[in-house]
Amino acid sequence: MTRDPRPRVEPATVRPRRPLPPAVPPPWRRARRIALIATLICLVPAGISFLRTMTEPHNVRFGVASVEWMRSHGGNGIVSQIEDWYYTLTAPSKGGPPLRSLPRVGIAERSSSSSNGGAQLPPRIKPLIHPPLPGEGVWKPAAANAASPPPVLVTTFRSDPEYPQFVAGVAWIDSARTQLAYVPGIDEPPSIEHRGPAEVPPSKRRRLAATFNGGFPLETSNAGLVYRGQTIATMVNGIATLVEYRDGRIDIVRWEHGPNPSKHVWFAKQNLPPIIYGGHLNPDLSDGPEWGATVNNAVRVWRSGLGVDRHGNLIYAVANYQTVGSLAEILRRAGAVRALELDINEDWVSFNTYRGPGARDPSSLLPEIYRPADRYLTPDERDFFAVYVKGGW
Amino acid sequence: MPRHVSAAARARRALLFDSVAAVVLAALALSLAAGLGVIGFFGLPLLIVLLLWIGIERLVRLRRPPRP
Repeated sequence: MTRDPRPRVEPATVRPRRPLPPAVPPPWRRARRIALIATLICLVPAGISFLRTMTEPHNVRFGVASVEWMRSHGGNGIVSQIEDWYYTLTAPSKGGPPLRSLPRVGIAERSSSSSNGGAQLPPRIKPLIHPPLPGEGVWKPAAANAASPPPVLVTTFRSDPEYPQFVAGVAWIDSARTQLAYVPGIDEPPSIEHRGPAEVPPSKRRRLAATFNGGFPLETSNAGLVYRGQTIATMVNGIATLVEYRDGRIDIVRWEHGPNPSKHVWFAKQNLPPIIYGGHLNPDLSDGPEWGATVNNAVRVWRSGLGVDRHGNLIYAVANYQTVGSLAEILRRAGAVRALELDINEDWVSFNTYRGPGARDPSSLLPEIYRPADRYLTPDERDFFAVYVKGGW
Repeated sequence: MPRHVSAAARARRALLFDSVAAVVLAALALSLAAGLGVIGFFGLPLLIVLLLWIGIERLVRLRRPPRP
């Protein structure tokens, strides 16, 4: 027997092979692939738009800027619904320990609830909860060296006996001694000529007495705006409107003059139906489509509003945990006979006063207001109002 | 039409068809949505879910003992 000269080959261990994937994937996997590619295609323009917005200068947190991007890109209804759920789940409970003191606002303890120098100063706001806390509802000058009578007064009071820890901040602005100016923001209103610096112009700060938030963005309010006599957004009948006439008079009216204003109107901004009219609360303050795409009227959030008293002076109110109805009650209690709601949510409400000329030593109407007191002294996204003292301090 | 189509060619055709379907679907979504905010709101979670699904599936397949 001859030996096989070829080298002996040991049989290799047979490695099990993974089955190759089928040439054409099963239908469910193809459907998933289609969904993935379609989603990626959709997200490209959305991502570009989002990044462009985020890289623009803004002075709000990333989360707030993201939500605002979504709001202004067709997602307002979704955002409002989510806010509704969130605020409903985190709603405050009634009662709780009573407050021992109120936040200190204004600069002096002297009462200004009387006729002073011939001017009609507002009466003290009658406290709702007894016994009243020191200084509750007592008007104080917002600035230290303001001429007498002071053009801006501020006070705080507990606004709801069922929620004794809620504190409302209220400001009274003498229309005869002040001038109200509307200042467009960086982004709001979106289409406007002569936008300006989006902050209080440094040249006018010498006379600055107060600044406050300017109301819903036009996209949310679906209402009108007239700026320097030009219609920026079509006026809507039945909507509460802050009007400045060419002679300098300021008023809050229910708009009934059609889409275009008369030549006497210099400025007009609309925001939702009036919450107080003729001294009475709007009977439809519960939720309804007329209140626009925003959180439910019964949801308790930061809310702000502006009214006029029977002498034509402005009254601004702001408080946390308010419904539209309770905000209207605050304004009526402070003396408003006509009023509209302004911005809501902690990121948008602001009322700042300045304790000295030149916008020196700014302070918020309530210490809990989230936005800093020097908001509007740097460019801001949103439009706002500046209150100047006529003729200076 | 060729009588014999290779597995790779069939896979390429399927991918092409799926891509066209995805483009049509995306165009439809972009035109019907109220805005890019809505697209982003629903699109981003959907993308994350799909990627997670694919990733987990790959992981399971890799860990599964191969068939002899």
